[in-house]
Amino acid sequence: MSDTPVIEVERLVAMANQIGDFFAPYPSAQRAEGIRNHLRHYWDPRMRAALLAHLDATGGADLAESVSIAARLLRDESRAGAKAYAGPPRAG
Amino acid sequence: MPIPRKPDGSVVTTCAYCGVGCGFKAETLGGKVVRMIPWKEGKANHGHSCVKGRFAFDYYAHPDRVRTPLIRDHIDEPWRAVTWDEAIGHAATRLRDIQARHGTKSVGAVSSSRCTNEEIFLVQKFARVALRNNNIDNCSRICHSPTQFGLSATLGAGAASQHFDSVLQADVILVVGANPTEGHPVFGSMLKRRVREGARLIVLDPRRTETVNSPHCSADVHLALRPGTNVAVLDSIAHVVVREKLYREDFIRSRCHRDEFEQWAALVGDDRYSPEVVGPQARIDPEDIRRAARLYAAGPRSTIYYGLGVTEHSQGSTGVMCLGNLALACGMVGREGVGVNPLRGQGNVQGGSCLGSWPHMFSGYRFVTDPEVRSSFERAWDITLDAEPGLRLPNMFDAAVAGTFKGIYIQGEDPVQSDPNRDHIVAAMRAMECVILQDLFLTETANFAHVFLPGSSSLEKDGTFTNAERRVSRVRKIVEPLAGLADWEITVRLTNAMGYALHYDHPSEVMLEIARTSPAYRGMTYALIDRVGSVQWPCDENAPEGTEVLHTATFPRGKANFMLTEFVPTRERADDRFPLLLTTGRVLSQYNVGTQTRRTGNVAWYAEDLLEISAQDAAARGIVDGDPVAVSSRVGSTVLRARLSTRVSPGVVYTTFHFAQSKANAITTDLSDWATNCPEYKVTAVEVMRVTPSMTRAQPTPVAEAVEA
Repeated sequence: MSDTPVIEVERLVAMANQIGDFFAPYPSAQRAEGIRNHLRHYWDPRMRAALLAHLDATGGADLAESVSIAARLLRDESRAGAKAYAGPPRAG
Repeated sequence: MPIPRKPDGSVVTTCAYCGVGCGFKAETLGGKVVRMIPWKEGKANHGHSCVKGRFAFDYYAHPDRVRTPLIRDHIDEPWRAVTWDEAIGHAATRLRDIQARHGTKSVGAVSSSRCTNEEIFLVQKFARVALRNNNIDNCSRICHSPTQFGLSATLGAGAASQHFDSVLQADVILVVGANPTEGHPVFGSMLKRRVREGARLIVLDPRRTETVNSPHCSADVHLALRPGTNVAVLDSIAHVVVREKLYREDFIRSRCHRDEFEQWAALVGDDRYSPEVVGPQARIDPEDIRRAARLYAAGPRSTIYYGLGVTEHSQGSTGVMCLGNLALACGMVGREGVGVNPLRGQGNVQGGSCLGSWPHMFSGYRFVTDPEVRSSFERAWDITLDAEPGLRLPNMFDAAVAGTFKGIYIQGEDPVQSDPNRDHIVAAMRAMECVILQDLFLTETANFAHVFLPGSSSLEKDGTFTNAERRVSRVRKIVEPLAGLADWEITVRLTNAMGYALHYDHPSEVMLEIARTSPAYRGMTYALIDRVGSVQWPCDENAPEGTEVLHTATFPRGKANFMLTEFVPTRERADDRFPLLLTTGRVLSQYNVGTQTRRTGNVAWYAEDLLEISAQDAAARGIVDGDPVAVSSRVGSTVLRARLSTRVSPGVVYTTFHFAQSKANAITTDLSDWATNCPEYKVTAVEVMRVTPSMTRAQPTPVAEAVEA
């Protein structure tokens, strides 16, 4: 049971890439932070975990590079405890 | 002809249909509601009404109303009528059993914008304190969730900046993806009145709606854009504002972050957003984009009203941000006659958004991941709360199909008819072990439910609604609940049965709790509303009787924010197989999935969902007016009757989703907004084909099973 992704991974990848598309015009540090903030504070943790597991297992070939970078930031952020925000992404 | 007897009772209340929230006097005779008289003192409607609020009220006493709780073990069994105690106990036992076997997060809840603020607040509280998770959502997920996201990102508050009367001071009115004369008729009349007085009107809509052209009201500019190109066209309007320097430098310097403006101006000012590039993509005249931009920027008081034609796209939230950016750049925020205003669909969608029916936010739009906010609710409710966001409604269905989500409590929603990609929703429903449905009628969703809790209409309970202009108005009990309990009482009983003790003597006590826990409602009480008629939030020590216009001196975050709004085309594309683009909407006389209005005399005006198609597209397919046609998309098909229409351009078709048998959402896809998962109802690639009458016998629609007494 615990190995079953909460939602099919293909759906999560598509959703994550859409988020990446939105933040694409931002400078790289803001882009990664914007995606991270969104995944961290809008996604169920099981969705984040499934995305990270997929990234680890496949290297994230089907994910936009910015999404892969941001997803990896989620691991660091769990220690930093940054608060959620609305509005433009903040630099790094 | 018999002379009608004079009513013997009259109570002021609020209409539950659209987001205008008209005040009515509900008149009774012998304990039955016999007329709804528009209330002249109503601040949203000033004595006006539409044909839904005025005439479509007798559904409440329709013979189809379910008056007894029902349960069954499997969805292929007939219902068994039971007592309230048995039904509530059964529901709680099933939910607890699922959680014991599949985990705390294997169940969730969704609240209804047809219910009151108090009831919505209680359903989200039920999820957090009884289910012990944040799997709670509301139906604005599938309509205006991008409004909350996009307006919060730019202006800092996910709600209309104005009161309705503000439109009467506008010089230019920009309507985007909305048809207020049908969807929000009383406000639509006010808008048309202002246009008759000389205001200029710009409409962005794929269809030539009544707002575009009707007696005494026609648009100065109509951008009949191709579905799916909103963001490109709005960025192109912004391009003209930037390149022709039509923006308000003083406003930007004093009220916005100047560096963000420059970043935004560089994006939209790029050649790729010039009208000459975007116009052909959207199939509109580039010069019309320029005219629209110049009109809007010149004002001096320009206002924006928008609807689901903005939000229900894969870039719905981006589209809302485009509107916020545009208003900021032109200084059209913070005074009478300007602003950015969502026209909310259901009567209490704004309330659904305000009161914490979100998997990531508590009431007052505060993140569940914020430890300070969360601990304030933990103190108020004396319980440890889940610190992580829960599943959104579409994700609950995705998880059900994946086998990880097993039970749901649905208050007054009909996702099988209203949500996109019907087959996917049905698969999710079938995959769940316990679906608890609280509604007035055995809806399409009831076919897949295991517990049916008969709810109460807005005529049968006390509470409040928050309309599209943030106006909180009283809903008053006119008649007793037909099944014995108001919706809020059902949720309280279910919460108690799940083991969390909850008690309120009256919804006014719930409002006191809302005021204690929701900053914008801090000063809101029934006594205040009764005294002044209705109150627009924020209502607090700074604005003890409410606030008509937001952002007058400052924004919630101090300065407003420009967001970067790159156009990203939807993945849904027309091609040789599916060459037409379907968009969906409503008509004046019917309301949403029609559960209520279909059971009234309003069917005389509109008795079935029709497919509007241009003469050119019809002729190419051998279709004449009235023909049954198969409408097929990449996910499904259905059969509708064709109506040849000049309202749609070649390449675009349109239908409504008021009738269950038409299964309009069998063809819509599960593509959704990047930020919120709001479905992309407004763009579906389809093919339309004439069918012979023998082929129109669609799959038999499951009907509500007989109830065993």
